[in-house]
Amino acid sequence: MSPIGSLSNDQILSAYENAVRSRTLDIKVVNAQRQGIIGFHVPSEGQEILQTAIGMLLHKEDIIFGYYRDFSLLMKMGIPVSKILDQMLGNQADIEKGRQMPDHFSFKEYNFSTIQSPVGAHLPLATGAAYALKYRKEEGIVVANFGDGATSTSDFHAAMNFAAVFNLKVLFICENNGWAISLPTKKQTVADIYRKADAYGMPGKRVDGNDLISSLNGISEAMDYVRSGKGPYLIEGVTYRMGAHSTSDDPKKYRVDEITDGSDNDPIRRLEKLMLSMGMINEAQISEIKRRAREEMDAVIEERRKIPKPEPESIFEDLYSEPAWIQEEEKRSIL
Amino acid sequence: MTLKTMVQSLNQTLDVLMAENQNVILLGEDIGKNGGVFRVTEGLQNKYGEGRVLDTPLNELGIVGMGAGMAMYGLRPIVEIQFQDFIFPAFDQIVNQIAKIRYRTGNQFSVPLVIRTPYGGGVRGGLYHSQSGESYFVHTSGLKVVTPSNPYDAKGLLVSSFESGDPVIFLEPKRVYRSIKSEVPEELYRIEIGKAALLKEGSDVTVITYGSMVSTVVDTITKNRVNADVIDLRTLLPMDIDAIISSVKKTGRVVIVHEAPRTLGMGAEISALISERAMDYLLAPIIRVTGPDIPFPYIYEELYLPDERRIMDAISKVKNY
Repeated sequence: MSPIGSLSNDQILSAYENAVRSRTLDIKVVNAQRQGIIGFHVPSEGQEILQTAIGMLLHKEDIIFGYYRDFSLLMKMGIPVSKILDQMLGNQADIEKGRQMPDHFSFKEYNFSTIQSPVGAHLPLATGAAYALKYRKEEGIVVANFGDGATSTSDFHAAMNFAAVFNLKVLFICENNGWAISLPTKKQTVADIYRKADAYGMPGKRVDGNDLISSLNGISEAMDYVRSGKGPYLIEGVTYRMGAHSTSDDPKKYRVDEITDGSDNDPIRRLEKLMLSMGMINEAQISEIKRRAREEMDAVIEERRKIPKPEPESIFEDLYSEPAWIQEEEKRSIL
Repeated sequence: MTLKTMVQSLNQTLDVLMAENQNVILLGEDIGKNGGVFRVTEGLQNKYGEGRVLDTPLNELGIVGMGAGMAMYGLRPIVEIQFQDFIFPAFDQIVNQIAKIRYRTGNQFSVPLVIRTPYGGGVRGGLYHSQSGESYFVHTSGLKVVTPSNPYDAKGLLVSSFESGDPVIFLEPKRVYRSIKSEVPEELYRIEIGKAALLKEGSDVTVITYGSMVSTVVDTITKNRVNADVIDLRTLLPMDIDAIISSVKKTGRVVIVHEAPRTLGMGAEISALISERAMDYLLAPIIRVTGPDIPFPYIYEELYLPDERRIMDAISKVKNY
């Protein structure tokens, strides 16, 4: 896919709707957390456009190693909001059986791998998955998303190096949202993140992650490169974490918000202005899309929160291919 | 059947596993052209190619993480970490990723990954080529931890580890790599994970050991004609609790021998399990003969390793209590 010329109005509108639904879900989930319905949340507010662009360019067979702040990507991949909420509520329908904190998703059925809390630790796994694709000569690439904080980890270094040495089809996408909890990117690393690619012998490119067209252009160029088998590629999508790090964080302690919901530099507002200027949409339609999103999210939360918790016995399951005596004994003594 | 060292036995096992299953991939440092620093993978890259025997960059977390990703997506990797002392950069991958992935994904993914690594002292390896770190891994549910004591068990346990479907830390006692030979059949056979071996039968005392210390213990018991049960655990996680308890109920006296440091070593757990289950059968305190709680010293390694004198002292103590 290339410049806006080849993008249909429907694609732009659908990208916009995805971003609005994701933003709305974020806001609703934070409210639900305040009411004690959901335990915790890591909001993706501000990063919707970059993530939506990634989702638009994925092929069905691509394998995604995302991180815990990827709501819009999950939604663009077609993962139903109900399944997202089941995980966050830890209810009986949660495929992870309530074992992980909210936002730590695993959706194998959708080729979305599995999220851990330790930052960057999924990146070496992505190289292994890419090796499996290469070894079996299968279609598809591996896309690994992470924040700017992850670029300081040993895992990032290991994965970048291994991906390059073994010439693997991995697209690394740094969602540089400016902050790793309280640490601004300039204190995380002195170098430009996209230029770190040079050190590993792969191309790197920075895109305006708050602009749909810039994101689509840069990512599609990178994906073409990776799909063609030339090797891995690093994209730095410059975006902004509009919310707190998590519902346990108070960003007022360390920063003044530079982008707020609906401000002129809010990526969703920027896309609205583009669509308005192209005559694709009017303010009334925008309000209607937002109203529908609120209704949708209210209804899904209301529906999913009624589902009961998994059975207590389930905490002792799925540790090994066969149960071991240790856990069986502990289960009997606790339950 | 031919007599083989543990190195030859492991090499032949890897060869058969690779020949039988196209998805078996080996990865590690210097394992290809060089055949591994202990030569366990000798000749395998020549036979199966660079796509199946990967010489990796020098980064243990990268090796284990890449192996884990392969295992999650259908390959059957067997990783070599050159020395167990060097595994710690991969500790997060082992504890937080591979041990938890089946659990945290609700069984959507599993990580059938074997991590082979030589451990233990006695080869003049100093602080960083001698450690026995089994306790770090035995403390982590989701892993299995296995250690063979002889060439025959090495093959049967490696095959079972490979087939277990779970991540396995496979600890190879490097002191035993070439020091003993046993008959090793050519074809694949299995030694069940979680099952100990009763190497000697006796009624006075139970001596529990594993891995690198087994031959020292057996030699000591034989030479001194001790009437002892000698248990080779073979699997450290999950341990064969039934084998331990039934022997303790018979003898009432227990000595545990391992090379790893005493504090929170395997002996601590074994001792606690026995006291919980067989307190009334005990005729003497349980005694541990272990490495001391110091780093592994270079020029005095024979002082570090449990030997005949220390093992016999402990046996006398429990017998004469």
